[in-house]
Amino acid sequence: MTAAPAPSAHSAHSAPSAPGSVPSAPGSPGSPGPAVSRWQSARFRRRVFAIVIFAAMVVIAIVMLYPFWYMGDNSFRNQGQFDQQSGHSLAGWTQLFQTLPVVQELVSSTIVCAAAIAIILLVATTAGFAFAKLRYRGSGLVFLLIIAAMMVPLQSIIIPEYVNLARFNLMSSYTGAILVYAALGAPFATFLMATYYRGISDELIEAAVMDGLSYERTFLRIALPLSLPAIATVTVLQFIQIWDDLLVGYLFLPTNDRTITVGLAVLSSGRTTGIPPLMAGSLVSAIPAIIVYLIFQRYLIRGLTLGMGK
Amino acid sequence: MSLIADPPVRRQRRGRLARRRRLAGFLLSVPAIVLVAALLWTPIVQAVRYSMTNWNGYSAPVWIGPSAYASAFGDPIVRRVLENNALLLLAVPFAIGIPLIIAALLHEHVRGWRFFRSVYFLPTAISWVVIGMVALQFFADRGILNQLLADVGLGSIHTDFLASEYSALAALAITFIWSMIGTNTIIFLTGMATLDPTLIEAARVDGLSRRQIFYRVELPLLTRFIQFSFVITVISAFSALFSLIFVMTGGGPGLGTTTLEFFVYQAGFAQGQFGTGALYGVILFVIMIIVGIGQLRLIRSEDGEGW
Repeated sequence: MTAAPAPSAHSAHSAPSAPGSVPSAPGSPGSPGPAVSRWQSARFRRRVFAIVIFAAMVVIAIVMLYPFWYMGDNSFRNQGQFDQQSGHSLAGWTQLFQTLPVVQELVSSTIVCAAAIAIILLVATTAGFAFAKLRYRGSGLVFLLIIAAMMVPLQSIIIPEYVNLARFNLMSSYTGAILVYAALGAPFATFLMATYYRGISDELIEAAVMDGLSYERTFLRIALPLSLPAIATVTVLQFIQIWDDLLVGYLFLPTNDRTITVGLAVLSSGRTTGIPPLMAGSLVSAIPAIIVYLIFQRYLIRGLTLGMGK
Repeated sequence: MSLIADPPVRRQRRGRLARRRRLAGFLLSVPAIVLVAALLWTPIVQAVRYSMTNWNGYSAPVWIGPSAYASAFGDPIVRRVLENNALLLLAVPFAIGIPLIIAALLHEHVRGWRFFRSVYFLPTAISWVVIGMVALQFFADRGILNQLLADVGLGSIHTDFLASEYSALAALAITFIWSMIGTNTIIFLTGMATLDPTLIEAARVDGLSRRQIFYRVELPLLTRFIQFSFVITVISAFSALFSLIFVMTGGGPGLGTTTLEFFVYQAGFAQGQFGTGALYGVILFVIMIIVGIGQLRLIRSEDGEGW
């Protein structure tokens, strides 16, 4: 950094003081010297500060991304290469497809996710609209009861759930798991949709009704299309939740209909499968979630911040 | 404000509309009510009932009554499990503090911060199963951690986290902290985005250093977000780690990593004790309610609109 005299307009911009002062502060002819050097040191310090922060962020990024690198790297090894941590081959991947019905489990994951999300969207959009715009006697209490169900941990109800699903013979197909996922997702989704619908003006709804639309049609034709961003948020949030879940799928899905996450966890807990195929399987199960994340990131973040009651 | 009352016809129409609106509201909320009542509220009532019985799921349940709880809390195994939950709370300050620092770094908006934000949040999309499998390799006897230590010349420090009870719990806690970084960082970043820049600027003009501004101006304004992340973190620690435990340790060694949520699964499905399993679930539920009520009150006090 050589001493290049800075244009005074810049200095006024970056200097914290000089409230409302005109650029090239007139009056004291002796001041430009020290002012410039101070400006330089401030800029220099900020630069160093930025570099330090950038370096720290790179280090954190490595810590956060290392597992993905590890999975990729070690999936392309056989057991010997893994033990030596040198050399690569396709062994991990071929072994994975021999030990795990990957395609079938991916299909199961997709079916379960799609069906559960469809139910969640159905109940959450309708109920969210009702609680936000079509209040009736006791609707506030009902809303509170539904929201409060968010606090029910799955483990607290897992045993009665198991008993009930067995009683209605719902564990021999996807149905039981889909219903449980839908119920677990519904409270937060309803909360999110209601929060969103509150933002739509009452006048808009009333105008539609005055034009002769029924409330149900007003919901379908006006509120629902307006709430597409919230619907996207619910979909992404639930997709990741359900795709990644183990407990419900593990207990309530028949062995042949296991999702990829469940299949992988069971394979791993057997402690007989080598690490390379498990790493390959991890990648397979993670990739759909990562793709959805990369595309719909902002909806995911919005869902999280909406959860704060903002 | 019109001084003339609505003409009777219009008023009648209003009344009819209001009735239709209430009816539509009720009908539209029925599916959600049915789903939540059938699959969340009914089972919790059943769980309370089961918890006071001795039942293996097949033969007729034997009623014990509330004394089941007394004997559960007297059971040293249950106490050991609850101790694990309590120890897991030690991870919470780290699971909040580290993301707070990371969010502060991101909030400086240095070049590329959006990219880094995406990277830090990425593990949030990954299942605990996958995280657990890599964590297993990280802490393993011949795993990444020991390799790292050897690489930096600390090969003499050989760790074997998963071999003993408390260190296995520590390994679980460290993995948990890592997993919470994404979520909590986003929460704090959102909070920091709501900070009023003019307030910060005023503090700067008043001559406060960057550090002073963080501690005296920004941190107090972030309290609400810290409380929110605290609730999320505690709830996750107590009810979201099943998969991680399942994959990493299976609850062991001994009872080392058996937390309450995992204990429910073990009692109910590994040992077939539906009664005691349900009981542990109810205890977990009560803990969650206590944490949750705190949050509900927070939301309400901030909104000022009770629902």
